[in-house]
Amino acid sequence: MLNLFERDKLDLQQLSPEHTAINVDHLDLWFNNKQVLEDVCMRIPKNQITALIGQSGCGKSTLISSFNRMNDLIDGCRYKGSIEIDGRDINHPRENVARLRARVGMVFQRPNPFPMSIYDNVCYGLKLQGMSLRRALDDAVEQALRDAALWDEVKDRLFDSANILSGGQQQRLVFARALALQPEILLLDEPTSALDPLTTLYIEELMISLKKRCTVVIVTHNMQQAARVSDYTAFIHQGRLIEYADSDSLFTMPIKKQTEDYITGRYG
Amino acid sequence: MIGGWIRTALDQQQRQSLAINASASMVAVLLLTLLSIIVFIIIRGSAYFWPLDINTITYTNAVEQSEFQEKQKAFAQVRAVSTRAPALRKSEDQELRFVDIEPEQSWLLSFIQNGQLTIKQSLLLEHQVHSVEKDLEVAELTLVNGNTLFVKPVAIKQPERAVRSAVAMQEARYEVGLLQRQVDGIRQQYLSPIHLRIADLDRLGVTEDAPARTKLSEQFFHYQKAIEQLQIKVDAYQLVVTDAEGNQAEMPLVDIQRITYPNQLSGLGKLWASITRIWVFISDEPKQANTAGGVFPALFGTILMVFLMTLIVTPFGVLAAIYLSEYAPNNTLTTALRIGVSNMAGVPSIVYGVFGLGFFVYAIGGSIDSVFYSNDLPSPTFGAPGLFWASLTMALLTLPVVVVATEEGLKRVPRGIRSSSYALGATKIETIWYTVLPIASPGIMTGIILAIARAAGEVAPLMLVGAVKFAPTLPVDGDFPFLHLDRQFMHLGVFIYDGAFHSQTDSKGSSMMFAACLLLLLCVFVLNLIAINLRSRLRKRYSQG
Repeated sequence: MLNLFERDKLDLQQLSPEHTAINVDHLDLWFNNKQVLEDVCMRIPKNQITALIGQSGCGKSTLISSFNRMNDLIDGCRYKGSIEIDGRDINHPRENVARLRARVGMVFQRPNPFPMSIYDNVCYGLKLQGMSLRRALDDAVEQALRDAALWDEVKDRLFDSANILSGGQQQRLVFARALALQPEILLLDEPTSALDPLTTLYIEELMISLKKRCTVVIVTHNMQQAARVSDYTAFIHQGRLIEYADSDSLFTMPIKKQTEDYITGRYG
Repeated sequence: MIGGWIRTALDQQQRQSLAINASASMVAVLLLTLLSIIVFIIIRGSAYFWPLDINTITYTNAVEQSEFQEKQKAFAQVRAVSTRAPALRKSEDQELRFVDIEPEQSWLLSFIQNGQLTIKQSLLLEHQVHSVEKDLEVAELTLVNGNTLFVKPVAIKQPERAVRSAVAMQEARYEVGLLQRQVDGIRQQYLSPIHLRIADLDRLGVTEDAPARTKLSEQFFHYQKAIEQLQIKVDAYQLVVTDAEGNQAEMPLVDIQRITYPNQLSGLGKLWASITRIWVFISDEPKQANTAGGVFPALFGTILMVFLMTLIVTPFGVLAAIYLSEYAPNNTLTTALRIGVSNMAGVPSIVYGVFGLGFFVYAIGGSIDSVFYSNDLPSPTFGAPGLFWASLTMALLTLPVVVVATEEGLKRVPRGIRSSSYALGATKIETIWYTVLPIASPGIMTGIILAIARAAGEVAPLMLVGAVKFAPTLPVDGDFPFLHLDRQFMHLGVFIYDGAFHSQTDSKGSSMMFAACLLLLLCVFVLNLIAINLRSRLRKRYSQG
């Protein structure tokens, strides 16, 4: 049968290690005494877009933040279980957190460029990595801005303050800033919720083009977006992973009742 | 009770306007107070620079009125007795021949007695003054030692001839200046090194007839003779002056710093004369026990002290604030520490002064002396009040201001910015250094502005730890190590304090005090302006959104 619309599907339960970007194994997470994540097990496939959906406060942002240990910044955060990236437990006490975060980039909901020039914003991570050669920096900045589809708009004013950019441009700048580090994994925490539809479209195209280079994990409240861009989708409810499947099946034929209720908008 | 009365007496709208009027009138009072302070200081301060006319008055010394009084004439200037402004009113025919005089008026009288030029302040009653006139030829001489005299210059005696024309007078003064500079040059270039070497020999115990010593003495006498010859030439230039009664006297031209003719000056000319005086005031050294001359060392000391204080307090305060706000665990001890720091701002400044004297000067300075400068003991180097200890004490005094302001600034940095920095692989210290501190820099500048304003105006602690009434040398000079942190220094605040004590006995000192006040005000204003300008630049650069 000619299959034009069906995408290739990976078996998420039996994902081989070389196809796994992040392996979450029995993860429990508490903020002080409040349990936020409960026994989450999921394997996120490499070079695919995985969306996390669920209502506010269900723990999806916490889950995505634990992939680059941003939760460490919150007082009273404890966890059990393991998260493996490339076969290494990232919660190991001797893990170099700064290096981990350079490899696992993250973009937040609100565009938050640093109060510096556009050029310096993109350079920020590279300079922290010890890159100081001017020409190499120039090339990296141009490449990152091209990747983020921002180059044509800002190439004449690279040394102007990033604050004069519009919201959408700022968010793409933040993407460029993260991409400049050539991350293996890119975590997106509701990257388009503060943006207008057109810019959202830009960013979605950007995400799809990024698939070739890295694994993308996106948290979104926008069901259409999840269905449009993601290859796999996980539904999280009250700290538990309810359903995790390829997006086509999850959105068309959800197995669990809770998932169906959520995606059809009956609650949440 | 009052509330109830207001409610019954006034309707809703009236109550509204009462509230507005009551609060607005308080603002008006505030504004009035502020304005009157500024206007008072500006008027009294600038009056010091305005050249007053010199009058020729005829007066009697006797207080009782009688027919047979000996009338005297003198060149005189009106001096205010207290805060009353000088009062000289024009008579009705608009001529200054006769002037209506205050019942009691203080005059600065200048006359020649037995060939000696004298000036004295005396209080004359109305009936003692018989006439007041104005002579255009009268000049105000400012002497090198800071004194002023009112005389009529007649001629300049030169080695060869006597000249009378104004141009020739200028030339003569120029020549004298050249000669004097030669004398000073020889003194500095040749004589003082010889002095030092002789002192060295003395210390080493070299006998009087040692060849090195005799050679030095010969050189010394040679230059001494050269100077003497020049001095004779200089002394030949004399200014012949007369007083109001026509007595003649001569004075060496070299003693005169400035000659002005205030009676000949128009309004614009007087303005120019005041500008010259302002320049002298700012650039010259104090003379006559801080009642004449300028305040340059005090101005310099104030700015240098504030500058050093800023250099010390900024890193200390910022680092302390970074620890408190970013690293310190959120527990009772930190809270207590924070409260302690804020309360430090309320400690009376004299307490800091005493602490600085007891701890910095005696304890630390004493130890430094005993370890590093033990050859110079018992005369102290750092064990005495000095510039460094004053700056350090002021830094301590302003530390809480900087800490609190910096902490506020750090707290205001958005969480998202920090998270993005971490997410790009920055460690905590990199995040603080590259993103948090730049964004917090306007807040830090606010702290520094407040610190500068406080430090520049402080007097009491400074008098304990290094500021003096008169310092013979500036803390910065051409000798290694150029900045002498152990020296005592002069400070405008202390200068004013001193002037305020003089003012009870000497009106000249008091007007100088007002001028110094004005300068201190301007100084604080300018320092603040620089800091505020810097802050707005930082704000523009690191603004959000």
